[in-house]
Amino acid sequence: MNLEAFQTRVIPAKNKLFRFAFRLLDSEEEAKDVVQEVFIKVWSGREQMGEVQNWEAWCMRITKNLSLDRIRSRQRRATDSMEDGFDVKNETLSPLETTEQGESMQRINQLIARLPEKQRQVIHLRDVEGYSYQEICEILELDMSQVKVSLFRARNSVKEKLVKINAYGL
Amino acid sequence: MLMDSSEIKQLLEKYWNCETSLAEEQQLKEYFRSNTVPESLKETSELFRYFETQKKESLTQDFDGEVMKQIAVERPKGKVVKMMFNVARIAAGLVVVVAATYFVRQEIRKSYPPEIADTYSDPKLAFEETKKALMMISKGFGKAQKEARKINLLNEAEQKVQGRDENKKESSTI
Repeated sequence: MNLEAFQTRVIPAKNKLFRFAFRLLDSEEEAKDVVQEVFIKVWSGREQMGEVQNWEAWCMRITKNLSLDRIRSRQRRATDSMEDGFDVKNETLSPLETTEQGESMQRINQLIARLPEKQRQVIHLRDVEGYSYQEICEILELDMSQVKVSLFRARNSVKEKLVKINAYGL
Repeated sequence: MLMDSSEIKQLLEKYWNCETSLAEEQQLKEYFRSNTVPESLKETSELFRYFETQKKESLTQDFDGEVMKQIAVERPKGKVVKMMFNVARIAAGLVVVVAATYFVRQEIRKSYPPEIADTYSDPKLAFEETKKALMMISKGFGKAQKEARKINLLNEAEQKVQGRDENKKESSTI
């Protein structure tokens, strides 16, 4: 892959990669770093990746793996600092994000953030990014039934909670 | 495309059961983008609006430039680098073989007695020493010859005695 192909086929996926990393990491800076890392990885390993058919799905998969690596190291650091007796900073939405998003948007954001990781990934890829089931299978390295079950659970969990909130204000 | 509420409800039913296609999901997104959503679908509308909002998040314009800069720093692995790598691999292999041969030879030398080596650097001295050694061998030969002569005398005496005895026997029988 030459530089031109890289600019036309890989770089345009940057916002999708960024949103996916952001959903997983809940940190804009870290998400940006991950996307940069993905592009550098893809560029430096382009000779070995000659047979890749869907570059976007491939980049999304690398994004997922790098983000999960960061979450794991973050958890390790958190455990270490807890052992040392320090308080761990709980990452929440910044004041800017809170004002930018409406109250209902923030509520849904929290509902989705509370979903199990796999469900959160699947609902983002399908309902925000509009990927096909096959592409989601490729990105998350899951089989079709796992993807469909996770999506079904995620959508219905969010729906039930939204109904409850609107009916009883819970 | 405008849809009535019953069509939307049917489509939503399919959506919650994960039976909608991407195109049908796109129809739902477009429907909820409009402001004429009935009160009964308020929460669903919020959810679809949330998905739309999420898709607007994007990186800043300067991101591409940063990435291209980083990529320019990354040196591509060209043919020269690959060739150098192969040469280095072969050289490393040769070094291992030479070192192994050297150590094996050392071990073999240790297990066998050392070969006879030159002891004198001066040829005259070596000649003298060789003469001495040969003289010693010659003396030994001389001594051995003397002893051999004695044995010869004994043999001759024995033969003579045996000859006389035989003559006596012959005369008595006649």
